[in-house]
Amino acid sequence: MRTTTNVLGLALIGLGCVHAAADDGQPGIAFFEQKIRPVLVERCYRCHSLRAEDLAGNLFLDSKAGWEKGGDGGAAVIVPGKPEESLLIKLIRHEKEGREMPPDGDKLSAAQIADFVTWIGMGAPDPRLDGKVEAKRADKTWWSLQPLARVEPSALDGAAGSPPAWQANPVDRFLLEAMRRRELTPSPPADARTLIRRMTYDLHGLPPSIGEVQAFAADHARDPDAAVGRLVDRLLASPRYGEKWGRHWLDVVRFGESNGYERNLIIDDLWPFRDYVIRSFNDDKPFDRFIVEHLAGDVVGKDDPDVEVATAFLVAGPFDDVKNQDPVAKANIRAATLDDVVTAAGGAFLGLTINCARCHNHKFDPIPTEDYYRLRAAFEGVRHARRVVASKEERRQHAEQTADLRKQIADLESQRAKLDALLAERAETELPRLSFPRPKVDPRLTEESFPPQEARFVRMTVLAGTGLGAGSSGRTFGRLTEVEVWTAEERPRNVALASAGGRAEGPRAAQAEDFPDAYGPQFVIDGRLGEQYFIGRPPVLTITLPGVERIGRFTFTNGLAGSDRAEGDFPCEYRIEVSLDGDVWTTVAGSDDREPWSRPHGLERLKRQLATAGERDELDAMDGQLAALRRRLQAVPPLREVWAGVFEQPTQPTHVHRGGDPMKPVDPVAPESLSMLDRVTPSYSLPLDAPEGERRRRLAEWIVSRENPLTPRVLANRVWHYHFGTGIVDTPSDFGYLGGKPTHPELLDFLARHLIGDERQAAAGWRLKPLHRLILNSQAYRQSSAFRPEAARIDKDARFLWRFPPRRATGEEVRDTMLEVSGVLKLEPMGGPGFRLFKLTQNNVCTYFPLDTHGPDTYRRSVYHQSARASVVDVLTDFDFPDIAFAAPKRSNTTSPLQALTLLNHRFVLDMAQAYAARIAASGRPIEEAYRLAYQREPTPAEVDHARPFVAAHGLEAFCRAMLNSNELLTID
Amino acid sequence: MSHAAVADMSRRLFLDRMTTGMGGVAIASLLAREAAADAASVAGGPPPKAKQVLQIFCPGAASHIDLWDEKPALEKFDGTPLPGSETEVTFQGKNGNLMKPPWPFMSAGRSGKRISSMLPQMATHVDDIAFLHSMVSRTNTHGPGCIFMNSCFTREGFPSAGAWVSYALGTLNDSLPTYVAIQDVRGEPPNGKANWGNGFLPAKYQGVTMAMQQPLRNLSRPGSISVEEDRETRRFLAEMNRRHAADRAGNEELRARIAAYELAARMQTAAPEVGDLAGETEQTRKLYGTDDRNPLKAAYARNCLLARRMLERGVRYVSLYCASRASAVDGLLNWDAHKTLKSDYDRHLPIFDQPTAGLLTDLKQRGMLDDVLVMWCTEFGRMPTCQEGTTGRDHNPDAFTAWMMGAGVKGGVSHGATDELGRRSVENVVTVYDFYATVLHLLGIDHEKLTHYHNGAARRLTDVHGHVVHDVLA
Repeated sequence: MRTTTNVLGLALIGLGCVHAAADDGQPGIAFFEQKIRPVLVERCYRCHSLRAEDLAGNLFLDSKAGWEKGGDGGAAVIVPGKPEESLLIKLIRHEKEGREMPPDGDKLSAAQIADFVTWIGMGAPDPRLDGKVEAKRADKTWWSLQPLARVEPSALDGAAGSPPAWQANPVDRFLLEAMRRRELTPSPPADARTLIRRMTYDLHGLPPSIGEVQAFAADHARDPDAAVGRLVDRLLASPRYGEKWGRHWLDVVRFGESNGYERNLIIDDLWPFRDYVIRSFNDDKPFDRFIVEHLAGDVVGKDDPDVEVATAFLVAGPFDDVKNQDPVAKANIRAATLDDVVTAAGGAFLGLTINCARCHNHKFDPIPTEDYYRLRAAFEGVRHARRVVASKEERRQHAEQTADLRKQIADLESQRAKLDALLAERAETELPRLSFPRPKVDPRLTEESFPPQEARFVRMTVLAGTGLGAGSSGRTFGRLTEVEVWTAEERPRNVALASAGGRAEGPRAAQAEDFPDAYGPQFVIDGRLGEQYFIGRPPVLTITLPGVERIGRFTFTNGLAGSDRAEGDFPCEYRIEVSLDGDVWTTVAGSDDREPWSRPHGLERLKRQLATAGERDELDAMDGQLAALRRRLQAVPPLREVWAGVFEQPTQPTHVHRGGDPMKPVDPVAPESLSMLDRVTPSYSLPLDAPEGERRRRLAEWIVSRENPLTPRVLANRVWHYHFGTGIVDTPSDFGYLGGKPTHPELLDFLARHLIGDERQAAAGWRLKPLHRLILNSQAYRQSSAFRPEAARIDKDARFLWRFPPRRATGEEVRDTMLEVSGVLKLEPMGGPGFRLFKLTQNNVCTYFPLDTHGPDTYRRSVYHQSARASVVDVLTDFDFPDIAFAAPKRSNTTSPLQALTLLNHRFVLDMAQAYAARIAASGRPIEEAYRLAYQREPTPAEVDHARPFVAAHGLEAFCRAMLNSNELLTID
Repeated sequence: MSHAAVADMSRRLFLDRMTTGMGGVAIASLLAREAAADAASVAGGPPPKAKQVLQIFCPGAASHIDLWDEKPALEKFDGTPLPGSETEVTFQGKNGNLMKPPWPFMSAGRSGKRISSMLPQMATHVDDIAFLHSMVSRTNTHGPGCIFMNSCFTREGFPSAGAWVSYALGTLNDSLPTYVAIQDVRGEPPNGKANWGNGFLPAKYQGVTMAMQQPLRNLSRPGSISVEEDRETRRFLAEMNRRHAADRAGNEELRARIAAYELAARMQTAAPEVGDLAGETEQTRKLYGTDDRNPLKAAYARNCLLARRMLERGVRYVSLYCASRASAVDGLLNWDAHKTLKSDYDRHLPIFDQPTAGLLTDLKQRGMLDDVLVMWCTEFGRMPTCQEGTTGRDHNPDAFTAWMMGAGVKGGVSHGATDELGRRSVENVVTVYDFYATVLHLLGIDHEKLTHYHNGAARRLTDVHGHVVHDVLA
């Protein structure tokens, strides 16, 4: 656990008390005792005192120190001598909407308010000097909000128990000092094989080759320091580094390639962001630049696709895209969508849980709810959508290729519209004069009789559905539950029935993959008014009769058994044709003489009927030309669109939502810097209606400002976390009160300063590779992971690094290792669209099913897997690949029997065992070769003796299956 | 894990590490059983009344006013406008006039509880059920609604109640998962796996999906490998792992992994056995309706029987789904009767009624309701009006019914009420937080003390809300 007292904070408050006491005069005290204290006790203490059950706004009014310290809002509650500047007066006068005080019961009387004004005017004399302001939470003096300390490790030379090797690297000196305070001693260096294996997994997520191990071991034997230095440089220079460390960052920014929530639709154009991250890590792009690009890549890198894609960070989280007509629900969905962006930015860059301040001031950190909405104001214009990401040259070329076509299309369309208007006018005039001999179609049952015909085939061509002219549904041709074809004889038979040998064919307008037959034409001849057939495009339903029949009647319905209503559209404009050979068709019935279903339907029909032959030809010609032009336009490769967000200028200022409820907007909030850092980081403030892009750019610059201590601390800690398994702060995205406290605060500041570099050489700063070098060359990183009970008694989890903490491979490492050991891993293509280890179906919502077999085209590194939310992926999910509903700054590490079942029984592992076996079979000593490939070491004679009879009895594949399941493969010492 | 807030979390964590995995080795499972037995004292909660949970979930928003919550005024004002909400826009748009249920209600049991006449079998259980007629949700959308009903958050990423219970109480068996989600044959519920997800709790607390139509994933030995080879391979592997662990004292994870392979082997025997209904009597099969002519009903009935068999074998938490997610046709695959309530529910109610009632009868006659808390859930209710131009009802998050029965629950109780027309919960309103505060209470857990630190907050199942509904406690 942790200590909860904020030593520095208490000290400052203490000083304040002493100072204030000197100013107090006796007459004022009497006034306070008579007029002020009773009101405070009666009306304020319930929420603002030590005895408050739930301290409101982090404000104490039961001591002078309490109001001097102030509350979460940050504004001065009482400014001695200046009642008009004191927040308290504004609140008790009810001048702040939504924050009227006291919140319950009557407003203070005019006389009471006047007393408070008088008292503050007197200098607010207050004798309550002994009150304690307990730090049950963090304030602006919280450690992580303080400027980076300039610290150097102490020299430890000569001290007993300090190995000389630990004197050279400042990291080691910091660590050693902390160990000595706890009577811990470091471990001896790890052997060369263990070290190169550890480091290769750490930087590449893959095992080293046996050749690399041997070369390093030889080098290491000659000069360990130089060998390690060269190894670190080699590993950092490889593109495998970006694949491994880019994946870490994708965890931090909650990168997922489907939108989550109910629909969870797959997003196929988010991968450019993944490639951008990998590329940036490999290029060692300065992280301040990287962050600015995440938040405002479209602003700082306009027309540079490599930079613009970075804004995908903003929209890579889950969001609800369900069509909701309820206005309250809509506002809530928008609030939740932006909350994801605020949460992601607060956590990833600042290590703060700003999202906790959405409904109220943060309970534990000095984050007023206004700060939350300041951040939201920066993102108010972000829309989750794809946008064109292209260079100026690409845009110019594209415009050039399409401008002429677009103009031709527009001209032709307007020409056609003119003719159409003419016809519409004619139809309008004619429609009221017409009468129709037959009634309109009836979705419950519509019937067509015709002179008897010999036929083998009957088809219905639908020209319009009843939804015509009624918005988007107007494009559907309707649905049918049953169709009948009756013979012309004394006792007519329905010869369409499937049970009578009939067959129905026609395209469907909807699919449901888990029900292959859903919405299909077979339902119209099943003899039941049950399931519906959704008529698709082209809207032709063909019924093949069991043989040639003499028929005279055709009926169709969308009725449902037990219901007097039909659901959905119904064909209202149609043609029925019959044929003997399926080639030559005769029209036997149609809807032309029926009363139109609706006015739009009637007009549509009349426009067609009233056109002269010439006009009809003209229309046909124009339609033909338009189709050809559109085809040509489509053939021009479009500008690349990427899921990187669309930005719109907000039309309304951002407001604080009282209680987080978007239906309760209170004060407007400008896009500004967050108040919690205003003591150390220069603030900025933009107007309420500031240009959208400017809001994000200024926020980004503030986040990476040299005076902002949080950003480099959080980043340096993340690097440490991934190297050692646990950060100096063990909650990498929470540097607030509920987060962990640093085990080595000075080291953390040292690393953070090392990261941002010297201000005189700003260009060299903010790069991760120098920080990796510093850490990886340390003795602490190079020491053995062997267990030492006496040290474990003091520090079980090795937070003080008396040993290197061993770990299990991550999900990606497990899978990539199997591919590598089996010799089938494909390192190219490095990037591009991801591969999938799931099958997905889409029927309004997306559903993801894990695959039982993984083909060779999926043998790429796991970082290139398309990570859909709420999907199960064998091996990856089993081994704690995070559910990316939230950022995963720290992965869990579980052991479960499901992991065993997957590794023993999934086809993928068997395929790997087969490839692995084939690989070692070629060598003269397959068992030895298997050990070299998997563990990069020679087996002991006992191991060979153990394996030999097993191989003899069950073969190499069985042996390889066991090797791929072994703990040694998955454990990194 | 240094921020756990349950009073004696360190002890729980110790057990956790020893037993990593769903049960672990023999010694580990003994420890886990012990942990389960005295979980109440670990969490400092009330005395436990229930040990296991059976959740029956009808996704799609099963209509309270057509099934459980009779509103005579709805009969009376059928076809007239709902006063004061002529312009109200709900999820799918405008609403029409008030619409009475398509079927009459009837009196049931000694308590005379009024229940839809379409639920003749469920009617036999009303005296054992505590109805909560005044439920409210925080969303009008299925996906977020389902996960809200399962996790108390409308957003994904939070642990489901089943995961919290597994986390708090551990396992009760040494060969099956702790928490199982039985999906309907028609597919996943809205928002799918998030309904039984572990959220930010370790992955081992997630619900494992398993149903009659869908065996546990990767359970079977591959066909290409013989029984003997499989057994010998495991033996060989275990020996390799033992040698490896011997050199690495102090690494408990390695031991846990060996134990996980042993548990996996037991699961390979136990999981097919639990799904093998051959040993069930004809009488039992009839009771549930496992061989019904309606294939959807028979499939659900078989899953009901599977649920009983899992509870018998010590699965801690079973979530049983009756229907699935939304489809292109509202109300076809689940209870989302937007346009044709009668024909939709004519399809769904017979699937639900007999198998569910049969399961409850069976649990009761076997004495299992002494340990098992049963709860019936749906994500929200439906409007008392029809949707404009249809004979269905739109979403209504302001009122719905849920119920509980079994261990620790007072039967024959109807708690809370909606207004005259069932539009809003008005009397003794029960939130989903209250619902789970009560569930945890029955399991011997104080809902305010079961916490887990995540990204800046000590998170609870009930967020920062929840009051135990004492009226329904026996």
